Order: sequence, then structure tokens, then C-alpha cells
Amino acid sequence: MSSEIKLTKHVPTKKRSLLNIKRRESTKDFLFALPALLLLAIFTYYPLVNSVFISFTDWNLIRPIKKFIGLTNYQNLLVDPEFYHVLKVTFLYTIIEVSLELLLGLGLAVLFNVTARSFGVMRSILFMPHYISMVVVSMVFVWIYNTDYGILNTVLKLFGASPVSWLNDPSTALWAVIIVAVWKGVGFTSLIFISGLRGIPIEYYEAASIDGAGKWKQFLKITLPLLSPTTLFLVITSFISSMQVFQSVNIMTNGGPLKATKVMVYWIYDLTFVQFKAGKGSALVIIFFFIIVLLTAIQFAISKKKVHYEG
Amino acid sequence: MKMKKWLVGLTTAMLVMSSMIGCSSSTPTSTNASEATAPPATEDKTPVTIQYWHAHDDDQKAALENMVQEFNKKYPWITVDTVFQGDYDTLQQKLQAAIAAKQVPAVTNIEVHALPQFADSGVLMDLTPYISRDKLDTNDFSEGMLKAYSYQDKQFGLPLIVSTSVMVYNKTMFDQEGVKPPQTWDEIEEFAKKLTKKDGNEVSRYAFSVPGWDTWYFDPWIENGGGAILSDDMKTAMIDQPDSMKFMKLFKDWKDKGYMHIGYGKGASGNMRQMFFDGKIGMVEHTSALIKWYIETAKFEVGVSFLPGDKKRNSHMGGASIAVMDGIKDNEKEAAWKFVQFMTGAENNIKWAEGTGYLPTRKSAISSEEGKAYFAKYPQYKAVFDNFDNVIGPPKSPAFNEASAAYEEAMGKMVLNGEDPETLLKDAAKKMNDILKDQ
Repeated sequence: MSSEIKLTKHVPTKKRSLLNIKRRESTKDFLFALPALLLLAIFTYYPLVNSVFISFTDWNLIRPIKKFIGLTNYQNLLVDPEFYHVLKVTFLYTIIEVSLELLLGLGLAVLFNVTARSFGVMRSILFMPHYISMVVVSMVFVWIYNTDYGILNTVLKLFGASPVSWLNDPSTALWAVIIVAVWKGVGFTSLIFISGLRGIPIEYYEAASIDGAGKWKQFLKITLPLLSPTTLFLVITSFISSMQVFQSVNIMTNGGPLKATKVMVYWIYDLTFVQFKAGKGSALVIIFFFIIVLLTAIQFAISKKKVHYEG
Repeated sequence: MKMKKWLVGLTTAMLVMSSMIGCSSSTPTSTNASEATAPPATEDKTPVTIQYWHAHDDDQKAALENMVQEFNKKYPWITVDTVFQGDYDTLQQKLQAAIAAKQVPAVTNIEVHALPQFADSGVLMDLTPYISRDKLDTNDFSEGMLKAYSYQDKQFGLPLIVSTSVMVYNKTMFDQEGVKPPQTWDEIEEFAKKLTKKDGNEVSRYAFSVPGWDTWYFDPWIENGGGAILSDDMKTAMIDQPDSMKFMKLFKDWKDKGYMHIGYGKGASGNMRQMFFDGKIGMVEHTSALIKWYIETAKFEVGVSFLPGDKKRNSHMGGASIAVMDGIKDNEKEAAWKFVQFMTGAENNIKWAEGTGYLPTRKSAISSEEGKAYFAKYPQYKAVFDNFDNVIGPPKSPAFNEASAAYEEAMGKMVLNGEDPETLLKDAAKKMNDILKDQ
């Protein structure tokens, strides 16, 4: 009798232990992810939620009292012409910077996609600016761009051009900041493009050339479509980082001259830490957060139709 | 991607602040409780350590260390822990975080334009009761300098790091050309005509330069013309009044004639100095903190003159105070107050000024033997002290920093695009009024 009981008991125990193993496994997985999750929760999600709270107050960063003022900060921002100016500058910066970086990056990638030792060295040189801190880069470029004593104008003078106040002229300042970002970022972009290029099977090109397609046609019909996943990745990452440009603006122009380079994150910083308007600054953070999320979603939606994943 | 980190930083800062403060909207500021009377002076000599957050850079470090050593001789039971926190902006940001975290230093520098904001928020200790308890002779301070650190009739800091804008000129050039620095606005035209040099349409030498990159340099010009930046109650912008607009109209005229150089934007300060050293500008308005540097760097003789005046002859004060934070223990407050008194005291005032390049603040120190020796060594400072009481603080509104951006922009538009001063300043006044209304 006792053996019978053992038998009947045996089946469910086995099932349960399987379940247990599964549960234990998932607990283990969760525990592995926990430290990272915890950090994210403390340093990203909680602050984000908290800035939503601050954005409804008139907090000045040092006063212990936070008065709830509802949507006033949002209302004030949305009717402020400065908001639209800053938004325009941020978009201009992002669109020009991302397009230049991608076009140049792709061009250089095609150019450098050759396996010769000298090209390896040149690729490293191209990638070098990526290692240098933006703060250092900006400080160096402040001198390069200097109107009266900078190397750029000295070189221009040799060709007979009159000096340009790169950073002090509202019509050139944004370009000057963009060029620095492109110079620093293009190495990384081209590196990713090169790895994308290496992933395209050589047979496609062989087949195409047998069918009589020229180099240019091969580039348009094979290279570009097959690079589209890489391009999408680069568009989205560089779009987000460009939208959030801060260091170069902070060091090279302080948002000037005449607000010509006043980008969103610089304004957030200025409002919050210089003008003590933490409430208004936080409201801007939230608005800006939604703008970026929305635009990234649109990019993904478009890319679904246009991006070609091989296999 | 870098920026993401920054945003995380921003939000982290907010997290830290908010978690410490929470929703403590009911916590009353303790300033109000302690403002009537100071605790009686004690002879308590139990060891205490106070932190001093400062913005004195490397070449001023020796002077600071010397002061701390002297202080320790006098008060051996107080240890002063000096912490360099970067420039005023950086120090201010660290202070904001410290206040939110309730981990404040006992003593700190507060930049003159930021004082109203900090004082208004109740985070600084009111020094007034301590001053009256210890019978500190405040009349010995330059009146303008002391007033710059009071807010709503309470003293929240004492002047420690004091500079003002002055006219630094190329004396060698002036002697050759037979000109003297102008003392009034009326003298400027003739002075500038003599000194300006042109190569065809190109100006090869400007008579003088006034910085346009920071309102601090042209704020006194607004007042000297008989105008004002803000109304006395700090609620209305006054820069659209005829007397206030006078200076910018003159600036435009002088600039169009090639007399005047106005630097604007990033790097303008470095350029102006270089042009001065190259003899391309005869006289520059700059901070008195750099007088010694100008003397040591220039290959020619350097002279200093006070700002030329019209209806008034003011110059604005820059730099920072030494202040005590409110959120510290009572024994720390007592030690901090002793330190503040010592740092701003008359006995070491000249030594401090000489070591840091800042201005002496005490009348008794200036007239002392030591003070006379100092003026003999640096006669250039004399111009400042002949106008000692005309050195005044900026308008005391917590919104001043934000509001001043509006007329700084007006200056930029005049300099870069040659736009009409009257239209610009009227627009700026409108913007400023909106900002002031929000307060």
C-alpha cells in the first residue's frame, strides 16, 4: 500500500519540481538583472517621475517650500516665443548635424573599406576624435575659431578672404558648433558603416557586375538598401544625441550670440541652475522628453516600410 | 549619447534634492526664528571644525592659507577646512545641491548678483544680530560694498572678494599722444578723436573699449547718464527712460565713428585684452581684479582711471561676499562668524588685497601705514579709492540675472547688427517687465 502511495505521489512531484526549476531559473535571471534595474530605477525612472512632480511647482531649487501651481509652467512655456525659437534652433542643429555626419560617414566608409595596412592607420586617425572629450574638443575649437588670432582665419587670410567671427556672428555660430560635432562624430559613424559594408555578401556585387551593373548602380541598388538597418541605427542614435547637445554649446557659445545657438538642453540648464527656475526647467524637460519620444516613434514607423533586413 | 549622461545627472540632482526635502512644505525656515537676537557670546573653546567653500583660484591660494594660519593662531580651537569649489557658477551649483541635501558648509562665498536669490530663500544666516551683539564697526567698510550684501535691511554677508570695473589705459601711448583719460562723458569725444587711427575705412586703433558681453560693465553707464536699470521697488524696468537710453545712443555714435570697440560674445574678453596689449585699443574697461595682471603683462606703462561720469559717477561692484549658511549647528555658527569677521577684518585687509588682487574694503586699513605703502607700490589703485563710496552693488532683485539677459541681448543686437538703441531698449524693457511680474 505504501508503495502505491509513493507511485501516485511520484507524478505530481516531478511536475512540481519542473515548475520549481523554471521558477527558480526566472528568479535567478531576475536577480542578475536586479542591480542594473535598481540603478535604472533610482537614477533614471525615479528622477524622471520626480521631475514631473517638480514641473507642477514653482520651486526655485533652494527654497524648502514647493508651491503647487498646476500647469502654469507648461502654459508659460508654450506661449513663450523663446520656446519656439529654441525648438527651431535645436531642430536645425539636429537635422544638419545628423545629415552631414551620415553622408560624410557613409562616403568615408566606402572610401576606407579597403583592407590595406595604410588604410587601417587612416581609419584609426579618423576615429581618434571620438576618444577625445567634447569639453577638450570645444576648448580647442574656441581657439581655432577665434576671429583675430585663430588658425582658421589665419589660413583664410592666406587665400585673401576677410576674417569671419565664427562664434560671434549669429549667422555662422550654429554652423561652427555643428562642424565640431560632425568632426568628432564622423569617425564613429563611418566605423559603423564599414562594419555594415563588410556584412554585405560579395556575391551580390559579382552577380550584379555580370549582369552589367556599373559601380554607381551597384551602390544604389545593393549597398544602400542593404545598409538600411545600419543607417536606421545611426539615424536614431545620432538624432537623440544631437537633440541633446549641450557641452559644446556651453563651452563655445553659451547659447549665443543673440540666442543663435540656444538649444533645448542648454536652456533647461540655464533655467534650472542659473536662473533658479527648477519648476519651469522641469516642465521643459518633460515637454522635450515627449518631443523626442514622439519623433523617435515616427522614425521607427517610417523605417518599417523603408528598412530592408536581409534574410 | 554624452548628453544622456548629463540628463541623468540633472535628474539625479533633482532626485537627491527632492528625496532629502521631500514634500516638506510645512517646514518653516529657521532664519525667521533666529533673526531677532543672536545667542550671547560664549567663551566655549571646545574644538570645532568648519568648512569654507570658496572660489579663490591657485594664485590666490597662498593668501588664503596665510589668512587661515593667522586665524588659527588667534582661535586655536577652530579648524577651518577650506574647499575650492571652482568658479562662482560652479560653486553656486554645488551649493544648490548642498542646500537641498542639507549638508551645507558653514562658510561660503556668495557672488554679488546671486545674493538676493539666496537671501530671499532663507538659506543664509542673518548677520545683523551678530554685528550688533559684537559691536562690529560697519562704518569702517565702504558703504557701497557693505550695502551690496544686505537684502531687505538685513546683512547676509560681508564684502571679501571685491572688484569693480575701471578704465585701464596705455599710459605710454597716452603720453605720446598727449591725451589724458576722460573723466566726464563730455570729454570723450575730443579724447577719442585724438587717439583713434584709421587706415582708409579700417580702424587700426580704437580709442577705447567697453565690454558688451556682460551687463556688469555697462550697468554703471546706464546710471551715470542719470538713468536706472530697475525702479526703486525693483518691480519695473527703467531702461526705456530717456536718461537710461542715453549711453547706448552715445555708444552707437562712438562705435560708428570708429572711436569705440565693443566686445560681444564668447572669447571677446581675450580678444579685447590682446588688442590692448598690441596697441590696437588705447583704453579698456575691465575688472579691477586684473589691474595687477595688466601691469605685469603689458610691455608699456599701464594707468588706471575711474569710469567717466555724467550726471553720476558710479562703478558697479563685482566679486563675492563671505557668508554663513543657516543650516548649521549653533557652535559652528559662532565659529563661522568669528572666521567671517577675521577674514574681513581691518588688520589683515591690505595683506589680503595684495595677495589676491582684490580691493581693500576697510577705510582704516586704507589710511594705515600699510595702506599707504600699498598705494605707493600700486598707484593705479588710487583712482578706485578716490571714488571709494561710488562703488555700489547691482540692483537687488532675485530676478535680476534673468532680467538682465534682455538688455544684454539689446547690446548684442546694437553691436552685431547696428540696430537702433531706442527700439532695442524699449523691447528689452517690455521683456524685463514680464520677467519681473512673474516673481
